[in-house]
Amino acid sequence: MAALALLPAAGEAIYFRDKISWRSAIAPSEMVTVEQARGWGDTAIWVDARPDDEFASDHVPGAISLNEDRWNELLPPFLAVWVPGKKIVVYCSSLSCNASREVARRLRKEAQLSDVFVLEGGWEAWLKKNR
Amino acid sequence: MNQTPNVQLPTSNAELSAGASTSNTKRRVLSIFWRILDFVLAGTFIYAGVVKAIDPVQFASDIDNFKILPWPVSVALAFYLPWLEILCALGLLFRVLYRGALSILTASIVIFTLAITAAKVRGLDITCGCFGHASQHWSFPSHLATNLAILAALLVLGFSNRSRKPF
Repeated sequence: MAALALLPAAGEAIYFRDKISWRSAIAPSEMVTVEQARGWGDTAIWVDARPDDEFASDHVPGAISLNEDRWNELLPPFLAVWVPGKKIVVYCSSLSCNASREVARRLRKEAQLSDVFVLEGGWEAWLKKNR
Repeated sequence: MNQTPNVQLPTSNAELSAGASTSNTKRRVLSIFWRILDFVLAGTFIYAGVVKAIDPVQFASDIDNFKILPWPVSVALAFYLPWLEILCALGLLFRVLYRGALSILTASIVIFTLAITAAKVRGLDITCGCFGHASQHWSFPSHLATNLAILAALLVLGFSNRSRKPF
């Protein structure tokens, strides 16, 4: 039975090969580097998925705070600012954090937004490139 | 010398027959109860398996949130575990490879329960993903209670008299 389950699992792995990466938790098409995101200029909205205190201490200029702790409270102001066609760049603390991935996933699924990207390396990467 | 009077024989037979009949009825009721439990558990695992098989990307992310396994292993498990659950549930339903299916499901629920408990102890605020999106907002006590109820039902089936051998 354990061996039999391998068959449909293999089939599903082939079917979903473009939707999931075996190397990173985020599909390559959903990742963006600091350089790419900066290149988008005003066509991108930056979303800070870190906790409130970290956002308060410092953040990407113009970024909007949208974290999971206060999701219901912060989502409406974010949607008020968002304009169709604008790209959304979500970041959290570093490469190892999950918050940006989760916020990006919820923006796609719950808010039905497209063009949502996760910043590779997060806030740490942004700081490195801007110092 | 020790002969039993003939007159008592019909009475003894009747008592034996009544006892056997009661025992048969009890066995039949128990057998129906075990079968219902089979169906309930099979339905639960088929549902849990299907919701996870539909969205393996989400399930891989849920496994990854436990911070126990590397990402490629989480992906492999996200593809494999839902189908294993579905096949074992079908085994329970149709009584094919029954004890193997029961053992695998018991092992999987024990591992999931230990994993969510370990995550809670480590302060991780996560969903076990056991029932896909449906269980996303369950609290830790709800997860634990559900898993323990399922585990208890599996153990009851495993130790029930209808099984040929105990665990």
